[in-house]
This record gives sequence, C-alpha cells and structure tokens, in this order.
Amino acid sequence: MNMLKKDEDSGDLGVFYHIDKSTVLQEARVFNESPIVPRKCRLLLTKIIYLLYLGEPMATNEATELFFSVTKLFQSKDIALRQMVYLVIKELSTIAEDVIMVTSSLMKDMQPKSEVIYRANAIRALCKIIDATMLPSVERFLKAAIVDKTPSISSAAMVSSYHLFPAGKDVIKRWANEVHEAINSKPTSLVGTASSYLSFTSSGSSYNTPSTSNISQYHALGLLYMIRQHDRMAVTKLIQQLAGSSRGNFGSSSGTLRNPFAYCLLIRYAAKTLDEDPNLRQQMFELLEGWLRHKSDIVNFEAAKAICNIKDVTSKELYPAVNVLQLFLSSPKSTLRFAAIRTLNKLAMSHPTAVQPCNLDMENLITDQNRSTGNEASVDRLMKQITGFMSEISDEFKVIVVDAIRSLCLKFPTKQVVMLSFLSGVLRDEGGYEFKRAVVEAIFDLVKFIPESKEAALAHLCEFIEDCEFTKLSVRVLHLLGVEGPKTATPTKFIRYIYNRVILENSIVRAAAVSALAKFGVSAEDSEVRKSIKVLLTRCLDDNDDEVRDRATLYLKLMDDEESAEKYVKDDSTYSLAALERQLVQYVSNQDASEKPFDLSAVPKITKAQAEAENLKSRSFDLVSTQTIGISSSAVASSSAATISTSRDATPTPGIDQQVVYAHQLEKISEIAAFGSLFKSSVKPVELTESETEYAVSCVKHLFDEHIVFQFIVVNTLNDQLLENVTIVMQAESDDGSLVEEFVIPAPKLPYDQPGSIYVAFKRTNPEDYPLCSFSNTLKFLVKDCDPSTGEADAEGYEDEYLVEDIEIVTGDYILPTYINDFQSTWDNMGEEGQVIETFALTAAKSLKAACTTLIDLLGMGPVENSGTPTSPSLHTLMLSGTFLSDIKVLAKSRMTYSPSSGVTMELSVRSSSEEISRIVIGAVV
Amino acid sequence: MASILKSFLDWLRSLFFKVFLTELELTLVGLQNSGKTTLVNVIASGQFSEDMIPTVGFNMRKVTKGNVTMKLWDIGGQPRFRSMWERYCRGVNAIVFVIDSADHEKLEAARTELRSLLEKPQLANIPVLVLGNKNDLDGALPVERIIEEMNLKSINNREVSCYSISAKNQVNIDITLQWLIRKGKGSK
Repeated sequence: MNMLKKDEDSGDLGVFYHIDKSTVLQEARVFNESPIVPRKCRLLLTKIIYLLYLGEPMATNEATELFFSVTKLFQSKDIALRQMVYLVIKELSTIAEDVIMVTSSLMKDMQPKSEVIYRANAIRALCKIIDATMLPSVERFLKAAIVDKTPSISSAAMVSSYHLFPAGKDVIKRWANEVHEAINSKPTSLVGTASSYLSFTSSGSSYNTPSTSNISQYHALGLLYMIRQHDRMAVTKLIQQLAGSSRGNFGSSSGTLRNPFAYCLLIRYAAKTLDEDPNLRQQMFELLEGWLRHKSDIVNFEAAKAICNIKDVTSKELYPAVNVLQLFLSSPKSTLRFAAIRTLNKLAMSHPTAVQPCNLDMENLITDQNRSTGNEASVDRLMKQITGFMSEISDEFKVIVVDAIRSLCLKFPTKQVVMLSFLSGVLRDEGGYEFKRAVVEAIFDLVKFIPESKEAALAHLCEFIEDCEFTKLSVRVLHLLGVEGPKTATPTKFIRYIYNRVILENSIVRAAAVSALAKFGVSAEDSEVRKSIKVLLTRCLDDNDDEVRDRATLYLKLMDDEESAEKYVKDDSTYSLAALERQLVQYVSNQDASEKPFDLSAVPKITKAQAEAENLKSRSFDLVSTQTIGISSSAVASSSAATISTSRDATPTPGIDQQVVYAHQLEKISEIAAFGSLFKSSVKPVELTESETEYAVSCVKHLFDEHIVFQFIVVNTLNDQLLENVTIVMQAESDDGSLVEEFVIPAPKLPYDQPGSIYVAFKRTNPEDYPLCSFSNTLKFLVKDCDPSTGEADAEGYEDEYLVEDIEIVTGDYILPTYINDFQSTWDNMGEEGQVIETFALTAAKSLKAACTTLIDLLGMGPVENSGTPTSPSLHTLMLSGTFLSDIKVLAKSRMTYSPSSGVTMELSVRSSSEEISRIVIGAVV
Repeated sequence: MASILKSFLDWLRSLFFKVFLTELELTLVGLQNSGKTTLVNVIASGQFSEDMIPTVGFNMRKVTKGNVTMKLWDIGGQPRFRSMWERYCRGVNAIVFVIDSADHEKLEAARTELRSLLEKPQLANIPVLVLGNKNDLDGALPVERIIEEMNLKSINNREVSCYSISAKNQVNIDITLQWLIRKGKGSK
C-alpha cells in the first residue's frame, strides 16, 4: 500500500482518469496469469475498487468472473497485494455469486500461525462472505480470535460478530464469555503484539505499530450489549460491574475500562436503563454523575448529555451537568464548545432556567472564532467585530458584508441605531463605487422599511453627499432627500445640505439639488420655508447650466401655481416603463404615427407603489438570500453572494410585461399586425382542459380596435403522437352576425411536450357594438403515431377531433385597467351625463373583500387609491378606473355594505363619456 | 519408520534437484472427504492429520521441491463447489481427481462428476491423474478395479493415469509426484 501511495504521490494519479470498466475487466485477466506481478495486480485492484466506489454498476456475471480471477491471487504472498484482495473481496461480496469460495482461504489466513496483518483483515473479509449456515464451522476460530491478545485481531473478530449478529444470533450468543474476557483483558505489553487494522507496509517486517487506544474494549462492550440487550438484568449487571470496578478512583487507569468510547457506550446503556427502569433511576443517576468527573472530556460530555436528556430531570440533578457544559463553553477546543452549546440549546427548550447560569459564557461564544450562532442580542457585539475587520478586507467582500448587514437590519429593526452608525461609519471609509452604492442602498432600505430610522439615516446621507465623489450616488441621495425630507419634522435642516450642492457640485448634481429643493418648496407647510426656497431657487436662475436654470424656472412657477404643482411635483403615479418603452418604439418605427404627437395617455399608468412593488419583487430574491447570511460570518456570505447573482437573472415577469410579450408575439404575425396596436390581452390564459389530459389547451384573448384574436396554446402530452395541421373550430353560441370569423392560423406541427399556438381572428362588424358571446371549441388535427424514444413519426396519419371547454367574451375583456391619481376630481369632471347607477345584492359574496375581487374581475378595471382592499368589514367604497376599447375613459364607484345575513349589497355607479358605454360596463355585473 | 520415510523424501528432493527449474500448476478435485486437502498437506509438509474440516471453497498451496514449484489448487468437494471446479482447472498442467477407494457407494457419483468435468471444452487435452486414496483401509479397491469402475478406459482424448495411494501411509506418493513433475517438464 505504501508503494501504491507513492505511485499516487508521484503524479501517477493519471491512471485513475478515464478508467473504463470494460478495460479494467479485460485487464483483470492478468490475475489468471502466472507468475503473478504483485505491483501490477495491486494497481488493477485499486482501479476496481475505485470504480466500485464511484458507483459503477457491475453485473452479477461480471462481478463473479472478476471475483474468481481475484481468488487466483491467493497464490501470491505479497502482503500489500493480499490486503487489496481482501478489500476487493469485501466489495464484491454483495454482487458476485459463490463468494463462499474463498472461505477456506480466508480461514487459513486467520489461523494463529498466519501473519498478524493477514489475520485481522481476513476475519473482516470472512464475515462479509459467510452466512448463518456457515457460522458454526467458523465459530471455533472466531471465538479464539475474540480473545486473541492482539487488539486488532480481537477487534476485527468482535466487529465482525457484531455485524453477523442479526443473522446468527444463536451462535454468537454462545460467545458472551469470550467477549466478556475481551473487555476485561489487561493491556498487553505493547511491544510487537498490537497492530492497528489498517497499518499497511510493504516490507512486512515493521507492521507492528503499537496501539494504546484499547478500542477493542469499545467493540467488546458493543457486542456484549448486543448479545444481552434483551436481558435487562444482565445489562444492569454489566453496567454495575464495569462502572463499579472503577468507581471512586476516577482519574486513575486502574478501572476495567480504559477506552473513553467504551465509557460513552456504557453511559448510553446506563441512560437507557435509567429511562426504562424507575427502580434503578437513583443508582444509574449516581453513576452518570460520577462520570461527569471522569478524566476524559468525551466521557464528561456524554454523561452531561445523558443527564440533560433524562425525561423528568430535576433542576437539582441538572446542576452538575450544566456546570460541566459551562466549563466546556470556555474550552479551547472548538468541538467541545460546539457540543456544549448544542446540548444547552436543546436543554434551553425544556429547562430555560437551568441554562441561565451559562448565559454569559454563551454570549462570549458569539465572538467565537468559529461563528455559527447568533441572536438579536449578539448584534451589537457582532457589529463591533465587523467594524474591526472592515478596513482589512477588499471592496468586493465589503459589499457582501454590507448586504448581510442590510438584511440583518430588516430582521432586527430595533437594532437600527447600531446598524445605522455602522453603515454611516463605513460610508466615510475609503471605498469604490460598488461598495458605496451598496451602503447607500442599505440606508435607503432602512429609510423605506424602518420609519424610526428615517431622520437619522437622512442626516447621515446628507453628510455623505457633502463629500461624495460619485455623481450618480449624489443624485440618488438628493432625490431621496427631496421625497422623504419634507415629511420629516424639521425639513429645514436638510435644505442647507441640499443648497450646498447647488453651490459646490457639477451641473448634474446641481440640477438634482434644484429638484429636491423644489419638492421642499411645494410640500412645506411653513410659509417661511417656502419663501426661503424661493430665494434659493431664484439664485439658481443665474446658474451657468441650462438644465439647472430650466428646472429652477419651472419649479418657481410651480410654486406659485398650487394646482399644477399637485400635478407635476406630487404626482405619485408613473407610467409602466415596459409598456411605455414598447409604445415609444412602435411610435418611432411607424412612419404614419410620427405625423401625430405621441399619445401618452395610451400608456397604462401605475402607481409608484406598484412600480416599487415590481422592483421589490425582483429585489426580494436577493433579500431572501442575503437573509440566510444572517449573523453568520463572512465565510457563509461569499457563498450566498453567488446565489444572489443567479437569482437576479431570474426576475419574475410582471403582469404588464406579459402584455408586452404578447404584443411582440402578435406583431410577428403579419395578418394580426394589420389589426393595429394591441389594446389588451387577457391577463391569465384560460384553461380549456383539465390538467393531465391528452392535449392541454389554454386560451388568451387579444383585443384590437376592431378585432378579437383568440390565441389557443396547445400542448401535446402524448409522447407517442405527433399532431399536424392543428386547428380550432370555434362555434359562436348565438350567431347574430356581430362577430365574423376572419381567419384561422393553424399550428403546423405539435411534437410531444412542445407548446404551439393557434390563432383565430374575429372582426366586430359594428364598431359601436361590443358583443358578448360564448364559443364552443373543437380541436381538429391529423394524428401520426410516433416512436416515443426517437420522435420519428409514421408517414400515414388519421384525422381526429378533441372537444375542449367553451370560451367567453365578457365585458371585462373590452376594458383595460388604468390608474389615475385623483379619482375624485376626474369623477366630478366627468359629470353625470354618462352616468348609470344600479343596485345589486350579491348574496353569494362572503365578505367585502370577496365582492371587491369579483367586481374587479368582472369589470376588468383597476382599483384606485388602495380601495381594492376594504378596511372595514361592513362598509366600503370601491373606486375603479379603466379605459374602454376605443380609448374611452371609464370610472366606477361602488358603495357596498356587508352583513352576514344578507351578504353584500352594493350600489354601483359607472361614469364615462357615453351613457351607452356605461350601460355596457354595468351590464357586466348583471 | 518415520526416519526412514524422511530419508526417502530427502532422496526424492535430491532427485528433483536434477530437474530444470519448473513451475507446475495443478488442481485437485474430487468428492468431499476423499482426502484432497490431506494429500496436499502430505505433499507440502509430509504431515498427515486425521482431524480435518471440510474445505469451504478452496485452498491454495505453493510447494517448492528442489527446482520445482508446484501451485496446488485444492478445491472443495461438496456439491455446492463442484460447479466451480472447472474455473480452477482451466489452463493447469494437470487435473488430479482424488477418490476414496474404500467408499464404494460414492464411486458412481465420482464417475459422473469426472465425466462431466472432462466434457468441458475449456479443459480439453489437460492430462488427468486419478488417485484412489485410502488404500490403507479395508475394502479399498485395487487400481484395476478403480480403472474399471471409473470407466477410465473410455477416456481417449487425453492422457489418463491412475494410481492407488495412501496419503496416511505415504504409499505411492513418490510415483504420483514423478508423474506430476513429468507433466511440468512435458509442457515446458
């Protein structure tokens, strides 16, 4: 084996690359050759083991063939080779047939006259190949081996017996005396007798390494317990005997047991006995307590753990155990500290008071080098620690730490003061853009999520921009100051900082500062403040940069004009950026359109809160992953940093963006592109089949100015079929000629598990008429059977049909939800001309919330001013806004009440420019 | 008696010295309790032991006599191992088939096993030595009867020899060895 190791060390590891089972099996023929070359065979055996350990499957006949080849190697006396043979035999013993064949050879090897190193290994290999029927014939040898003076042989025999026990209970039970003798055996003179199981040497002369572990006692005890486990009396006696012999003189080695693992076993048996037999409780407990003072740590720990796990343990009994664990907490060995804290942690669940004395020690542990614990209380100390090493680590790493801190802040909001001072501290440190950005974002998050921290955080940010070399960050901070500053108690103190920017910075920052100032000016209650802002802005009129001057002028005007100020400065709605982008691209690329001005009103508006929510959704991924970092130390952080980067790519597709995706798809189809721009696509595809059916069909409705396009998404779930020329026959329920089918675009081919789309287009014959209609749908296609594995289809197919569920056009399909920020004034402006009011009783609705959801669904309109979620259980006003098909603004207001007896009663009023439209809208509910 | 035997074996050993250095691979098969392991022990160390346990599987012994190294594969004779005889007979210099010449009842089974072993194509042309062991016991068959009972005359596709021996009294062990060593020389 040593030689083999040398081979590996000297770079010969190459032989283990590209090992191929069939090659190795071929090579295994050398085992049958004569004479044998031990070195070559050994390498080959190693390869076999390597393959087996890699999990290479080996057929029974292959293994058997190999096994018999290997048995030929028994002719070589080379020790290292023989040991490899033993190992391979053990591995093959479960796969090959007739492994019993080597029994005699192994038994010969375990004879006393054989070499020691053979004997132990032969015993272990033997127990792998024999079964219960063979046991009596080897009994004599195993019994002799158990009491052998050489610990490795004795251990091998006992461990083998342990494994054979389930199969050969009756035989092995007869060996109890021998095993008992093995426990009690005195350590023999160590010279030349003991050798550990795996001490490989190639020379054969110096394999006798002395063993002082007395591990065979551990094996003996395990086996003895196995033999006697069902005899409670015997077990008790065993424990008393082994414990009693060493009682009173812990610390000396005169006891029978000298191996700490053996003691651990004994403790477990004692704890079990204690648990099972109340009469012995006191006695066993005394033993356990005694072991708390054993000289070996592991025994102390095992005893303490056993005491902690006693079911009805009293605090008085716990005391000494906890004492021991407490000592361990300050041990220099990290395993001991870990073991202790784990046990205490478990104990704290059931007996918190008992653990209390250790609190201080546990707290010390938090600063432990080996960081894996933490709670809120530890944050302070942790922060101190981090501050300590912050200056020593690279920017990249700092970013990770800051991210971790951010999630920590959000987790423990009460600790924000410490965190904030930490963040502002590091903000002052040297660092690159990425690092600073991370810190600033962290502070932004604090401002957003922890209101208490707002003032302090803003103050820190003000300080930061006083000396900030990154224009981008300055602009962002200024914007935030503009948004948040006016809401604070003392807005004035921010104004100075902002104005400083106007004096000191470059034009981009100056422009941002002007905007921020203006926000103060518009929002401030105090007229004094407004006045000074005006003065400041007036000064900006002299700026040498156009942008700055323009902004200053604009804002000065706005400040005098409340109404437009409301509209431009305080507006909290924004355009859906994805949709805006799409429409702008369309506008630029379309020649005809560029003659008219760009129509901004067609872009769906969303609230800033919504936009934020979208943003947050994508961010929440990394928040979640950073949270796992928690308090754990930097080492963990680096790994989760990797997860962050991956999860960022996987931004969820928000609803509005889905519409953009559809629009893109549809534009590619020339027939559909001719319909003009897409007005609305239904949000979610409607499932027209049950899941788990042969063909899964879902449908999306696309509304154009005069056309309706149904997109059927079909998935073929049969892997032995290929569908061709798949089309849909749509049959309108009431054919009144209001909808005329224009064309069907079939899916040419639908292989297994690949979705395909079929488009069916209808034209509304009367632009003023918005028909509601239900269609029954039949899938028609040509089936070709195909080979599931290759996907190759037969040449001939047959026609088939498949009926799917109906699809409906409802009023909601004609309405696009929009957002407006001043519902009331728009409502008032619309007047009552186009108003329709009706009262409904929704007996089925179980709550106001349910009624709101239903209504929003039915009308396809968007709730305004958070009215989508009722705050009171009994009374609510829902305000809805939407755009009807030909850009007609529709508003709806629903006053509803709820009582458990009558359900929801509501009065729905709809206003739009035309009463006709309003009527259609309200008809959706009927 | 023992000393005379010893000197006899010594003489045998000296005889082997005159032969070229040869390696010889032999496989011993035969029904259980026919004395294969005992025979191997006698050849290897000249020691006879009454107290033997059945061979579970096989024993491998390497015996060096002067210039000759013999690898002896001693395969268990119990029914469960008989199917594996062939594996160990492949490519050897000679197959030694041991029978208990005093156990008349098992002769039939021995004949069948020998026949089926020699039918294996892999073992074609390998010389076979049939040894009727235990000729010290009463009722042991003489060599002619063994040849007859085992139907050895009908084997005509290879060299077949038959000796009546006693491992216990070391009778005819010398001629057995001589026969075996000749196989080694012949093949090399």
